[in-house]
Amino acid sequence: MSDSYLWDRSGEPDPEVQRLERVLGTLRYDRPAPDVATASRNRIRRWLWVAAFVAAAAVVAFVVSLSRPHSAPGAAWDVSRVDGAPCVGTTAFDGSAKLGIGEWLETDGKSRARIDAANIGHVDVEPDTRIGLVATGRDEHRLNLAHGSISAKVYAPPRLFLVETPSAVAVDLGCAYTLEVDRTGAGVLSVSSGWVSFERDGRESYVIKNAECRTRPGIGPGTPFMRDAPEALQRALYRFDFEKGGSAALHEVLDAAREIDNLTLWHLLSRVDGVERERVYDKMVAHCEPPDGVTRAGILRLDKSMLECWKLALR
Amino acid sequence: MPSRTAPVATTDDADLVRSACAGDRLAFGRLHDLYARMVHGILLARGPRREADDLVQDVFVMALRKLHTLRDAGTFGSWLAVIARNRASDFRRRMRKVEELKDDMARAGPTHASRAEAEEMLAVVRELPEAYRETLILRLVEGMTGPEIAERTGLTPGSVRVNLCRGMKQLREKLGLPGLE
Repeated sequence: MSDSYLWDRSGEPDPEVQRLERVLGTLRYDRPAPDVATASRNRIRRWLWVAAFVAAAAVVAFVVSLSRPHSAPGAAWDVSRVDGAPCVGTTAFDGSAKLGIGEWLETDGKSRARIDAANIGHVDVEPDTRIGLVATGRDEHRLNLAHGSISAKVYAPPRLFLVETPSAVAVDLGCAYTLEVDRTGAGVLSVSSGWVSFERDGRESYVIKNAECRTRPGIGPGTPFMRDAPEALQRALYRFDFEKGGSAALHEVLDAAREIDNLTLWHLLSRVDGVERERVYDKMVAHCEPPDGVTRAGILRLDKSMLECWKLALR
Repeated sequence: MPSRTAPVATTDDADLVRSACAGDRLAFGRLHDLYARMVHGILLARGPRREADDLVQDVFVMALRKLHTLRDAGTFGSWLAVIARNRASDFRRRMRKVEELKDDMARAGPTHASRAEAEEMLAVVRELPEAYRETLILRLVEGMTGPEIAERTGLTPGSVRVNLCRGMKQLREKLGLPGLE
């Protein structure tokens, strides 16, 4: 008997190796990828537990919690002036200030500011902007952009940093992006790196690097598109998303779509049905084959795992 | 000494590394899927089994944080293996390894006979020289083939094959199994 089976499972199986595989295989690793936030918390908890053997646990935990302001619920965020005279509440500041939960930072037409978002990144606040701190804690950091423009750069686990707007919530999946909201509540999200999920009432739009997504009050996020997408596609998509453009708008989108626009089309799969869904699928496949394991029948019935698989491949 | 090759990651893996480094957590998740068994095997070869799963998560979190320091995305596998080995060493320094292991075995109990058998067998594998036990664990516990082990860890296929054959020979002797004809 050769060692072929031991090497690559070819050749005649070695019964002893098979037995070892069977028995030892019960110890095989099969966990999903770590939720980075949870893993970090587990590690912190373990260290606190070990520290408890070394010193008084309560004292150590207290000291650690004091030394980690980003995980202390209720902590205020540092804000620094960049230009003009931004205000926290009604108080203009020169230099720096604190933005507490429930407080608003406002800039006029000439002022700008930077918010240090706990220890996970920063938010640049442009002129004519009103933004408030809704929550900050171990599980979530949440801002509310009432109107204006911000640029966020976040180094945090996915879904930890959120920005509410009047018509959608931008959920960070590890990225840098700008978000603009006018005084009617309409907005646009534009991503420069990573992913952002733009969400409202179960409707999710995944916006990738070099793509953007519009949102409208009463409707929510539209369909994301590449910033360099053809004008015809962008116009038709606007009509489809916000003006009940229906089949006519959809067909214009399909006619104008390039291969790189397949992620736009991926979103449309679950936003149309019947023959129209088949047309969207056929257009996507005409651009490139779906990944292994993704079938026409599965996509047409909106099989969740197949949709996710295809989305990942399109990334 | 086993020889190593570099780079070892495929172009796709290198792309995933670059995307993960840019903040793409889906790419990070895919890297986890590709390399988690390698990391687990390395940790199992060096530390308590009960801690290995959590330590895998620690290693990936640590890797994500250090990813920007990786100069050549093509060497991700061997770089990650070093992090895993170091993490296992750190853990061993801080914990009383022997007591942990005995505790593991005691907790398995008669109702977990198959798990107890696996852990007894693992204990024997862990008595082998380091190069052999790591490679054998990747093959027999994690189910990776020799070519996969070479691709992921950065070892040459020749070294992996030698480690597998010599390690298996020693394991057979320790377990009292007949050798290959």
